[in-house]
Amino acid sequence: MSIQLPPDDGAVTSNGPVAGAEPGSGVVSNSTGAKKLAPPEKPSDVRRRSHIILSFWLIVLCLGLPIWWKTTTIYRADLPLQEMLDWSDGKACRPVFPLRISIQANALQEQEAQNLLRLTQHALDDLNDFSGHHLRLQLAPPSTTEHAGSESVLTLRLVPGDTTTTKFDPHQPILDITYPPNAIPSPTSSSSALATYVAGQLRATFAEEQATISYLLSTNSIPPDHRAQGLSSDVSDSLAKRTTRSLKYAPTYHLTFSLFTSGPLPSDWDIDGAIGAYMKPVLDVLSPIHNFTIDTQVQLYATPGVQNQVLNKEDLSSFINAAEWPLSPSIGGAPTVNFIVFIGNQTIATSSQDPIDGDTGSPAAASHSWLIPQWGTIYLLPLSHDTTHLSAEALKQPLLTFTSHLLSLTGTPQSGSLPLRLSTLSRIRSADLLLRASSTLGSLARLALALPSISIPSRVAEGVSKTMHHLRLACDTLGGLEGLAHARIAEAEAERAFFEKSMVGQLYFPDEHKIAVYLPLLGPVAVPLVMGLLNEIKAWRKRRSERAEVGEGKKKE
Amino acid sequence: MDGAKVTPGKTAGLYAGAAVLRLAIFTLLPALPDLLTGRVEISTPVTSFKRLQEGLFLYNHNVSPYDGGVYHQAPLFLPLFSLLPSFSSLPIFTYLLYIAVDLLSASALWKIADSGEAGSSALFTSPRREKRWSGFVIAAAFLFNPFTIATCIGRSTSVFTTCAILHAIAKAVSGAPFGAMIALSFASYLSMYPLLLLPPLVLLAYDRQRPSRATKSALQFGAVCATTVAGVVAVLFQVSYLLTGSWEFLPSTYGVQLTLSDLAPNAGLWWYFFIEMFDSFRSFFLAVFWLHLSSYVGGLTVRIRRQPLVVLTLLLGIFAIFKPYPSISDSALFLALVPLYRHVVPLMRYTFVSAAVILYATCLGPAFYHLWIYAGSGNANFFYAITLVWNLGQSLLVCDLMFAVLRDEWEVERPEMVGKEIRQI
Repeated sequence: MSIQLPPDDGAVTSNGPVAGAEPGSGVVSNSTGAKKLAPPEKPSDVRRRSHIILSFWLIVLCLGLPIWWKTTTIYRADLPLQEMLDWSDGKACRPVFPLRISIQANALQEQEAQNLLRLTQHALDDLNDFSGHHLRLQLAPPSTTEHAGSESVLTLRLVPGDTTTTKFDPHQPILDITYPPNAIPSPTSSSSALATYVAGQLRATFAEEQATISYLLSTNSIPPDHRAQGLSSDVSDSLAKRTTRSLKYAPTYHLTFSLFTSGPLPSDWDIDGAIGAYMKPVLDVLSPIHNFTIDTQVQLYATPGVQNQVLNKEDLSSFINAAEWPLSPSIGGAPTVNFIVFIGNQTIATSSQDPIDGDTGSPAAASHSWLIPQWGTIYLLPLSHDTTHLSAEALKQPLLTFTSHLLSLTGTPQSGSLPLRLSTLSRIRSADLLLRASSTLGSLARLALALPSISIPSRVAEGVSKTMHHLRLACDTLGGLEGLAHARIAEAEAERAFFEKSMVGQLYFPDEHKIAVYLPLLGPVAVPLVMGLLNEIKAWRKRRSERAEVGEGKKKE
Repeated sequence: MDGAKVTPGKTAGLYAGAAVLRLAIFTLLPALPDLLTGRVEISTPVTSFKRLQEGLFLYNHNVSPYDGGVYHQAPLFLPLFSLLPSFSSLPIFTYLLYIAVDLLSASALWKIADSGEAGSSALFTSPRREKRWSGFVIAAAFLFNPFTIATCIGRSTSVFTTCAILHAIAKAVSGAPFGAMIALSFASYLSMYPLLLLPPLVLLAYDRQRPSRATKSALQFGAVCATTVAGVVAVLFQVSYLLTGSWEFLPSTYGVQLTLSDLAPNAGLWWYFFIEMFDSFRSFFLAVFWLHLSSYVGGLTVRIRRQPLVVLTLLLGIFAIFKPYPSISDSALFLALVPLYRHVVPLMRYTFVSAAVILYATCLGPAFYHLWIYAGSGNANFFYAITLVWNLGQSLLVCDLMFAVLRDEWEVERPEMVGKEIRQI
């Protein structure tokens, strides 16, 4: 940049020789009486020099400074920092899941039923140690045979029978409990075996959900008084394991079904029909929580990463031939879940079966398939060599395995009937999303506090206010599908605000860097400007003092 | 005026020679024009003939010429060039237009030289003014300057700006302030930066007014001139708006110069700097560069008030160095005016150095560009380094000329110091 100086130098400093030496030197050489004395500067030259310096400084001050101010001030939208921190500290919302359970006891008298309900509620409250998770019993009107409205998560059907038994209805969130006729408590008694039994059953039903939610709360920065006490370490270990196995929450998952075969056959499979028959029902019930997109592919002559006939536990992790199999990591931003059917007669060594594949009931399926955490499932399907077409029938077992693994990958709890598991999943997801959005807000607030020089575009402020609005709504309607929808929006908005592009680029830009930006160009330019101004001011003061002296001299005369 | 009387035959001979030389190059070396058109030293994004043709094509097909994001030149070029027979079938008319513009520039330069303004202005008369070149020599130096010829062959549209600036100066010198202002408006309309020449040009026109209808008040004169320029530019904008149907041309022509959105390498200093620039500081440094460019106007105008033509010359030299998209045509314009100061050449100290540096950069510039772009054995730093040298040479020349002119003025005040060694503080 030094090249820019010469004309500037010329313009300003060549005043020196033209206008003679400095005013002072004229006086000095006068006194020495040397021959090459410089005559004093003419007033017009002095004035002209002031004008020149003024012209440069006018541009700097009138144009340069405003432009500098306007182009380099960092726009920081106002963020409600305290509120955001409150959210992340759990002060703004106390996650409470009021679960209504309706009791249908058509065989009982109204009063008997009321009494039983009171006692059971009592027993439940005694058992409960987690204030965020209430079980509230209510009596369903006896006439309705089905379930008592959508606000209750479970219907308890009390049916007279011979012994006390418990059975889940596989299609609806209904728990059937039979009781011997003598178990009905008398209106005056303060305790009842049946009530205790029912309470115990209910508690067992929701134990996993409770544990999961309190685990979620404990891993986030929620104050301890909201958490369940005494979450035992092995419970939290297993929960941690399950959380790491399941995919990170995303509004959409992309399911890829791949058929890999080591030879030329089979080249055709009826995957459409199989998905429609065996997997679609589960995808439909998951649809309030996730959207799914599906694609399928067939790959012939695919060699697995491990060629052994019997696959050991160690082989399973390297079975996928990541280099050659076209398993794209994700399409269109949504995380991909891979379901692979591999045609081959390899078997899995039985000793290695337990830890990886823990959740499929049938041992036949277990010995053929394994689940890769956060990635998908591989199913080994032995076939005779001349099969050209894989029918939907043949794909039944693989797809059922995939379905159950999909539930596990999405983080569905493992106990209870399917409807109950799914409604539990939606509550867990709501809590998870709520906490994640809150902690993202907290991170954003801490970032804004920690980096005073980061710019905060107005879009971020908009995203934050939207997030907080939806978080509030989600917090108020926790437990239902509406709460889940709000939590989803809140989480998406919070992520968008946090990963705002123009902010990320400036994440690390300390003030010291500004010196390196400004100084190389502006430093050399500023030196002649500042020196010129200083000299000019010095000369002006000197002239003034001389004038004052002359004035005094006149007075004396 | 001095000795060498120029006969009309000699004048015609000079013009004919220059025209024939250009025509010969156009016709005998048909590949050369296209080669030169592609050279970054000649064609910048705002003057390139190729881009003009692109804009012309779009314009003739009723598409906005600025739609492609390639054409950044003034809209009035479009009807001018579409009036000519198509370039692809009859290129000779385009060649003739460019040659005519060069000759017009030369005639304006001739007028400036013959006025003697360089040696004796209204407020200052140089004691050395007798030693000067005639208009014939100066026009010849301009017409046969390789930079001028290359610009003409490369059909850069900056020749129109050059012509307008020279005519503005010629009009001002010959006491026609109105004509000068109109010519300057055209130059500003075509390239924007000539607007910065307004203050010294107004002073020049003020000094050279015809006594018969002189305005006494400098302030009034300046206001009238500024209003004239504003009015003419406004009319030109209005015409452009009617031609293209929208105001889109403003951001596409002047906006590109102001924001340097096209970072194609050129002979200037801006492109490399802004390739490296942090995004968040880009707008600030754009403003700094533009302010730097314009800050010279005030200081020089005040300092060399007595010789406004010197200020114009020096400013053109500075623009050729610090413009956003400079090319050798800007240097050609500056070098066309420098010979007017033949009388102060003995006072210059670095003529040899600056001439050598400029020649050196002229030879090595294309070579380094080739190494970078085509051979791949160099990188952008090669070319940028040689543009630094090139601009160093030019700034040496600018400084040296300024020094010589100031010393010339000073020796009038201090006749006893003539010929003495002096020290610059």
